[in-house]
Amino acid sequence: MTNEGVTNEGVKNVDVTDVANEFDHAAVLERCARGDHDALHQLYLQEGSVLLGVVIRIVKDRGMAEDIVHDACLNIWQRAASFDPSKGSARTWIFSVARHLALNAIRYRDREINIDHSDPAEFEHDETFQHALRVDEAFDWQTGQRMDTCLQELETERRNCVLHAYVDGLSHAEIAAHTGAPLGTVKAWIKRSLLRLRECMA
Amino acid sequence: MSGVDKHEDVHTLAGEYVLGTLSLSERQPVEERLTHDEALQQAVMAWEERFLPYSALAEPMPPSDYLWPRIKRSLKTQAPVHHTPVAQTAKNRPARPRLLNSLPAWRGAAGLGLAAALVMGILLAKDSPVPATPEYMVVLLAPQTQSAGWVVQASTRQRIQLIPLGTFEVPEGKALEFWTKADDWQAPVSLGLVEPGRPIHVNLDELPPLQDNQLFELTLEEETGSATGLPTGPIEFIGRAVEI
Repeated sequence: MTNEGVTNEGVKNVDVTDVANEFDHAAVLERCARGDHDALHQLYLQEGSVLLGVVIRIVKDRGMAEDIVHDACLNIWQRAASFDPSKGSARTWIFSVARHLALNAIRYRDREINIDHSDPAEFEHDETFQHALRVDEAFDWQTGQRMDTCLQELETERRNCVLHAYVDGLSHAEIAAHTGAPLGTVKAWIKRSLLRLRECMA
Repeated sequence: MSGVDKHEDVHTLAGEYVLGTLSLSERQPVEERLTHDEALQQAVMAWEERFLPYSALAEPMPPSDYLWPRIKRSLKTQAPVHHTPVAQTAKNRPARPRLLNSLPAWRGAAGLGLAAALVMGILLAKDSPVPATPEYMVVLLAPQTQSAGWVVQASTRQRIQLIPLGTFEVPEGKALEFWTKADDWQAPVSLGLVEPGRPIHVNLDELPPLQDNQLFELTLEEETGSATGLPTGPIEFIGRAVEI
């Protein structure tokens, strides 16, 4: 698949009337790959606060989050040429760069703390916990995407685990502490939720 | 996990990687595999696409006014090698290099850069024992207490001095190892073992010249230093180089 529809014409001649148009992430990456500083600035203006919001939520420290957005921008800049639009959307790629920097950073920071050798297999049959208490929704999570339907099919406590991981960057142990569910149960829930989500999205 | 469908395994692993529940030691092999494993790349990208809409659950946060100027400054120090014409890279490249590689998490602990710069301002304002005029300075802070433990000063971009500001109790059988990493390096480089309370001079002859924002850290390693050539122990002190 070529990058059709992302001709450079419209992007090079950005003028005020184009601002209302959908932001073209793929075109911006292409310009970054050619060394156009202004392209990265446009991306920053468009997504900077969204990226920072996502990263702060994960690392929970503003200074560290700004460092990570800084690093993410450089990373995006350096690797823009390697982005392949046939393999995924540019916006997804951009956010994945920032999120994984943030996740690596907190896992690195906390690596001495979370020593955990429990095997989720031991807890495969531990279904008792979910009946022990009523579980409230932790997120106002509906986005209008197809995935909503699939998340909807998960039990509330499992959906909470999945979203606590994705949005808050919580580790298994942190989710366990946060929800009060046993660690192995959390691991098993997430594994099985992923299976079900994939089946549902297939 | 024996007996589990291999195919399913890739998707579950990819899903856990994207969700972020894996530990650092579990994430690293995944990132390594992502450099060459096409099936895993696809599985990861599929999860990234599925979950991206939920990143909107995090409220946007306007960056400080300093962030873009800082990014711009860093951009200028980037080597130009990355910007070969697109025709030769994205289009003709046989295999996609690294899908989701991320710089080592090592640098993530550096939310202290600004703090270090502030501390440095204070140090300089007082009777700084700084000879000549170093181009760069780094204050290494203890991540937990944010207290300054060491200062790095550079009289040239190839020669630095690490100066203790206090003492540090090294546990039996352990040693402090000194590391550095610039923004565009793949991995940190060891500058050797450090004796607490003792200043050392380090020649950076075999490294690129010191640059703005370059990270320095001291980690606690085995007595003989990290066996892997990469920091493995906890960070005791960390900071970024600030151009003066």
